[in-house]
Amino acid sequence: MTDAILTANFRKQFPGGPEIVAEDLRIGGGITVLFGASGSGKTTVLRCLAGLEIPNAGEIKFGNEVWFQKIENILLPPQQRNIGFVPQDYALFPHLTVAGNVGYGLNELPAAERVARVAESLRWLGLDGLEHRLPRELSGGQQQRVALARAVVRRPKLLLLDEPLAALDTPTRLRLRGELRQLLRQLGIPTILVTHDRFEALALGDDVVVLHDGHNVQQGAVPEVFSRPVNLAVAEITAVETILSGHILETRDGLVTVAVGDARLTALAADLPAGACEVCVCIRAEDVILMRADTVQSSPRNRLAATVRSLAREGPLVRVSLDCGFPLTALLTQSACEELRLHEGASMVALVKAPQVHLIPFAR
Amino acid sequence: MSGAEWQLVGFSLRMALASLLLILPVGLALAWWLARKNWRGKALVETLISLPLVLPPVVTGLVLLQLFGRRGPVGSWLHSTFNCDVVFTWRAVVIALAAMSLPLFVRAARTAFEEVDVKFEQLARTLGAGEWRVFFTITLPLARRGVLAGTLLAFARALGEFGATIMVAGNIPGRTTTLPVAIYQAVENGEDAHAWTLAGVSAVIAFAAVFISEKLLRRHK
Amino acid sequence: MKTTILKKFPTGKSLLLAVRFGLVALATANANAAQVTVFAAASLTDSLKQIAADYEKSSGDKIVFNFAASGTLARQIEAGAPADIFFAADETKVDALEKEGLLVGGTWKSLLANALVIVAAPDVTTIHAPADLTNAAIQHIALGDVKSVPAGTYAKAYLEKLSLWPAVERKVVPCENVRAVLAAVESGNVDAGIVYKTDAAISKKVKVAFEVSAADAPKISYPLALVKDSPQPEAAKKFIVYLDSDAATAVFKQFGFIVLSSPPKK
Repeated sequence: MTDAILTANFRKQFPGGPEIVAEDLRIGGGITVLFGASGSGKTTVLRCLAGLEIPNAGEIKFGNEVWFQKIENILLPPQQRNIGFVPQDYALFPHLTVAGNVGYGLNELPAAERVARVAESLRWLGLDGLEHRLPRELSGGQQQRVALARAVVRRPKLLLLDEPLAALDTPTRLRLRGELRQLLRQLGIPTILVTHDRFEALALGDDVVVLHDGHNVQQGAVPEVFSRPVNLAVAEITAVETILSGHILETRDGLVTVAVGDARLTALAADLPAGACEVCVCIRAEDVILMRADTVQSSPRNRLAATVRSLAREGPLVRVSLDCGFPLTALLTQSACEELRLHEGASMVALVKAPQVHLIPFAR
Repeated sequence: MSGAEWQLVGFSLRMALASLLLILPVGLALAWWLARKNWRGKALVETLISLPLVLPPVVTGLVLLQLFGRRGPVGSWLHSTFNCDVVFTWRAVVIALAAMSLPLFVRAARTAFEEVDVKFEQLARTLGAGEWRVFFTITLPLARRGVLAGTLLAFARALGEFGATIMVAGNIPGRTTTLPVAIYQAVENGEDAHAWTLAGVSAVIAFAAVFISEKLLRRHK
Repeated sequence: MKTTILKKFPTGKSLLLAVRFGLVALATANANAAQVTVFAAASLTDSLKQIAADYEKSSGDKIVFNFAASGTLARQIEAGAPADIFFAADETKVDALEKEGLLVGGTWKSLLANALVIVAAPDVTTIHAPADLTNAAIQHIALGDVKSVPAGTYAKAYLEKLSLWPAVERKVVPCENVRAVLAAVESGNVDAGIVYKTDAAISKKVKVAFEVSAADAPKISYPLALVKDSPQPEAAKKFIVYLDSDAATAVFKQFGFIVLSSPPKK
């Protein structure tokens, strides 16, 4: 993990509500994901860092600046923290045009310079020609980009994004995920991003802070935290059962062939940067389908010979550990297991659809 | 309508507009405080502001008379410092109109501010805007419909103000006689035609103001 | 509709009924002594009450008063109210009734007059003469409304006579009645006011800055007349004579009235 640029130790209690505790929170440069289930306190932590909520006790420091210090009664208001903030619903000013929104924070610049900066921002985000539109005339994706442009045009020293993709419909979300990562990398501004979607966390984050029940329970580099959860809670939150390293063999027609040990997996090329070689392969247990015979043709691109290693009942479900040349975990219903007559040592075929093989490039 | 009658209407309109100059800054500040802040004693402030709506206008007039009379706390200071009299002058008219119409404006403006989502104000702060800038560039523009409706209501109320005005400004033709006072006097003197003419003008202006105000409030929702 | 017709009758009629009942009740109380009913102007209230009290002790007759504005009283007499004596504050009212034949001819005389005074708050020292009213230091002057209050009408006539009205007119604050003028002067919100001397005496909080002499003042008159259909003409005449006596005039003077010693008008 890179050196911490922001350190925080605080607690926030909502009257009659939950208590959020950020303990020894350390955010480095790069993209840090605040990850957790809904209600785990991620947005609260983000808003405290932004200065939009005031903690009841503790301290927040950004570099040498003390942003908040309860004991000495220091509170730096958001205006003076030089941050960029993008809330989940974007909060674009409805009475201002796109240009008005993006240029809002630049009012101290001379008019000519402001106009130039706004134009540059819009161009860079592919929003050319939309200067005079009002927010309600834009699509979801466009609104997101305007909100982003508005936040970064002031060249803030910290960018805070709250569920940046949650307000979009699924196809758009997947498409924009890749774009967003590219964008954020190009900007180079330290970013804190809140999400409950584990694949967003995997795709977008360099580091991750896992929040559970209002507390931060683990923080570190993404592959680390996801493959080595410190406790059951984190494991359940991150809930990606199979994480392996792989090696890209070939990219063709939008598909990628990845070697994992001796096995070959097909995944989507989607947002992989060109020239990526070493990747982290993630497969959720829910996405693994088991079959008995492999004579029948089926759609999933990945058909792996698998041997059942062990079975573990979890309520109405069964967790099946398989050996496909690499460890693979599947999650089946009790009745499915009985139908397939699964037992230790049984030979099966494991099927995984290509889109469900998630690849995260290692080279950062 | 005669020249004197037009002058009367003109005088009333000017006084109502002048009272708006008092009402707007004070009213906007109060409405914003009530909409955005909480403090101990807030209920007391809310009640005090609403009092002129419910008290007999002559009671408000009495209070103003005590305050602004030459022997009163404010009046004596004005008289000794600026040699300026309030009671029995047009200044008393403006103050009476402002005192009676302020509550209407504050109510409308407060609701308008409350309907502005704070998330926009918060976001503006993250973009470096100070509190005054947030108010004038975000809060007020987003609340403009309700604020305008409140202004129109206050204006209409000011034009119709009688009880407090006659207490504190008297009825000096050409100087402090407003439309409602003139109507009252005309009826007293049996000048029915004159009274009805003035009443008609009053009704037309009031109707227009309230009509537009309602339209603004309706589309706002 | 019956109710609307009834509403069209002037309030004088209902007052008339009330007066009739009251008088009958009082008459039956003391059958031997005569009862004299006097309709008198409101500004004579305090003085007449005291005079009546003295008279009742000496004569044994009973005096019953109806105090109101002179105009209202005139209307009541026109409607047939049982008055013995009409003591008004305005000659025109009495003239009008005489023309209608409601008064005993030749008996009305102007008994009293009043003086106009300029009053000011006790701390005002700059007014010694009417011309001082034109000073810049005097910014507001309270007068009874010149169109409807007699004291105001007289004040304006006086100032016009002295050619001061144009300069003073813009400082005038019109008031509904004399008490309002006094209140305005007492509160300090006006610099001066013009009222009758008798009114000024009521208030302790104003002082008389200047008294208009009888020679300069307009003719303010309080005529006294016997009503033609008086139920008690003899007793009424006795009381009228008493009102002219030294005892009565002393009381009037005490209250500030000017007693006219001129003979009866007609």
